[in-house]
Amino acid sequence: MCLVEVEKSPKPVASCAMPALPGMKIKTNTPIAKKAREGVMEFLLMNHPLDCPICDQGGECDLQDQSMAFGADRGRFTDMKRSVVDKNLGPLVKTVMTRCIQCTRCVRFASEVAGVQDLGMLGRGSGEEIGTYVGKLMTSELSGNVIDICPVGALTSKPFAFKARNWEMKGTETIDVTDAVGSNIRVDSRGPEVMRIVPRLNEDINEEWISDKTRFCYDGLKRQRLNDPMIRGPDGRFKAVTWRDAIAVVAEVLNQVKPEEITGVAGKLSDAESMMALKDFINKMGSDKVLCEGNGPNPPADIRSNYLMNTSIAGLEKADVFLLVGTQPRVEAAMVNARIQKTVRATQAKVGYIGPPADFNYDTWHLGTGPDTLVEIAEGRHPFCSILKSAKNPVIIAGAGLFEREDQGAVFSTIETVAKKFNVTRPDWNGLNVLLLHAAQAAALDLGLVANPTESVKSAKFLYLMGADDVNLDNLPADAFVVYQGHHGDKAVYRANVILPSSAFSEKEGTYENTEGCTQWTIPAVPTVGDARDDWKIVRALSEVAGAPLPYDSVAAVRSRISMVAPNLVRVDEREPSVISAEVKPPVKQQVSPAPFKAAVENFYMTDAITRASKIMAQCSATLLKK
Amino acid sequence: MAAVVRSVWQGIREKGLTNFLRHAREEGYLKCLGDGNLLQTKIHNIGATLVGVDTFGNKYYEKLHDTQYGRHRWVEYADKGRYNASQVPAEWHGWLHHITDSTGDKLLEEKTKKFIREHRQNYTGQGDDLIYHSKGHALNPGQRDWTRYQPWEPKKEEAT
Repeated sequence: MCLVEVEKSPKPVASCAMPALPGMKIKTNTPIAKKAREGVMEFLLMNHPLDCPICDQGGECDLQDQSMAFGADRGRFTDMKRSVVDKNLGPLVKTVMTRCIQCTRCVRFASEVAGVQDLGMLGRGSGEEIGTYVGKLMTSELSGNVIDICPVGALTSKPFAFKARNWEMKGTETIDVTDAVGSNIRVDSRGPEVMRIVPRLNEDINEEWISDKTRFCYDGLKRQRLNDPMIRGPDGRFKAVTWRDAIAVVAEVLNQVKPEEITGVAGKLSDAESMMALKDFINKMGSDKVLCEGNGPNPPADIRSNYLMNTSIAGLEKADVFLLVGTQPRVEAAMVNARIQKTVRATQAKVGYIGPPADFNYDTWHLGTGPDTLVEIAEGRHPFCSILKSAKNPVIIAGAGLFEREDQGAVFSTIETVAKKFNVTRPDWNGLNVLLLHAAQAAALDLGLVANPTESVKSAKFLYLMGADDVNLDNLPADAFVVYQGHHGDKAVYRANVILPSSAFSEKEGTYENTEGCTQWTIPAVPTVGDARDDWKIVRALSEVAGAPLPYDSVAAVRSRISMVAPNLVRVDEREPSVISAEVKPPVKQQVSPAPFKAAVENFYMTDAITRASKIMAQCSATLLKK
Repeated sequence: MAAVVRSVWQGIREKGLTNFLRHAREEGYLKCLGDGNLLQTKIHNIGATLVGVDTFGNKYYEKLHDTQYGRHRWVEYADKGRYNASQVPAEWHGWLHHITDSTGDKLLEEKTKKFIREHRQNYTGQGDDLIYHSKGHALNPGQRDWTRYQPWEPKKEEAT
């Protein structure tokens, strides 16, 4: 397609491979160039089936576009076309290998970006095929991206097959909330239905990729949805009621319990607006027990740099030594892992890992499984120290799974000792990072939802769960009144007394802060289901009935309230680094316990209410995580 | 006129008076008196060839001589009281409107009937249950469910 005519050259020249020289006269639009391009196009189409009307790529196919722009208006090919057996790449990627034009973009993606050697070229000449070696599945957590990079319809989305055409869908540019990375995505919807999710370019966060969980969790948005307010009757059955009745019941109970018995828990998918409203409301009722799940018993919320990825995701590319402490980025934040993989591939950076045995897609040095290895490094007794010492830009990444440990303070102070010892934080380089797990975590810590979960739940007579499904309710008193506000009927619903339906991330405007401290907004792509409302509006309505009205009734007003508490949360699409260094932290007197680090994410494909409701994610965990 | 009288007389002689009157009623001759259209059709029918009868009983006539050009094919509806053009089934429509020369019977022989639905006339104004409602219409008894999500149902065994 890049053939041009150059004066005094006997043949058309491939402009992409020809260096331009002074005095060269290049003609791009002459009959010779056009005829040459037509010839190339004819060869490309020779073995390509003419099945555009039934092809999922139709309308967004590179070959279709090229053929429209450069192709001839008729074909001269009368022979039989080549046909290729389809490959099984797993539950996410559908293959129609006859359509493949052997561009090998997917092979390059798999080995260079995803870091798995699953795809390759088999055979030669006209027998050349793309395939996984001997019937393997593609087991990367980024495998969905080959759908985007395939220029033709050879690799398409299996769940999306024959569901919609790309021109009938409305694209909404929003962000993803299934992990703490906040990948930029475009939600394609048709009517009230999310049809697919595709990535959007953001060089600082996700480049142009997204993880499979982000891409394929969308069918979870259509299943197990809470669509009516419900009250559990005396017989234990849920009954759908009106909003007025449901809120009146909650307000009545709320005014009967003592203020210190009120606890609010924000879920891992909550946006900053609703967490602000929840915190203000619970505080107004006289309690300070507001927390966000996943932040552990003693969240390090005082200094922002203690819970953010201070190097920034893009900044990881400058690092030459990584030390991963209790984190497995491949399942906790696949996009961060892709960035580390990119760095390792480009600069041969060394990666040391402390934690349970895990599968990495780059070379790692498994240093140990518990904090004792960390102490060894801090004391300079470990062989990895020499690597750390010689590093120019060392990076330490601690997992947010460590927040759940009892000796969290001691572990983090050991990590800080390591950082100090090996010059990880300098004025020009901050390599001390925490990798968060959930979309709500950073904003929750910014807003100060920091109560101790065990104590708060144990003493609660009134528990307000705002989409919190993974909080441990074993110690909850049996007579406690539980309100569940959320969008999916997940784990915690079964303990609820009242259910208030709210909107999911694809249906509301919300502020989320990602793990590197970048604030981003979601944009509503589809209408809310049934009678559901936005989270903060429900809390606002409840506060009115409960007799302690919150002083805001528009998103702008909530955001101006947020700007008083955490001004960085209103500066959208900006990464606001922490200004205070960790030095001002008081010394920790805790002892490090010898218990090894645990894996923070058991199943990459199912981490929250949306992904647990998703059928595709269930299929993935069944087939791809099978050992 | 003389021909009409002659054929009436012949009919009475063949069938007897009672039978002839019943036949006249069934064939709509009595309705002719109040319905000019039907009367005109009946008069038209004299000397015409009956080309075919469709499944509903509509009779299709053709007369190639002594007719105005373009008026040489017509239908006598089976329903003599409430008749309208939508009662002509698809296979006869083409013949009747000079689209084709093959008659409905011939077309039915030639075409596969696998996917052809039975012809249904337009029942507008004939009662609420006969009105056509689209698949999303609230009055359609088989109204399609346009809900694009599956709501959470509290499980029965959870009720303790």
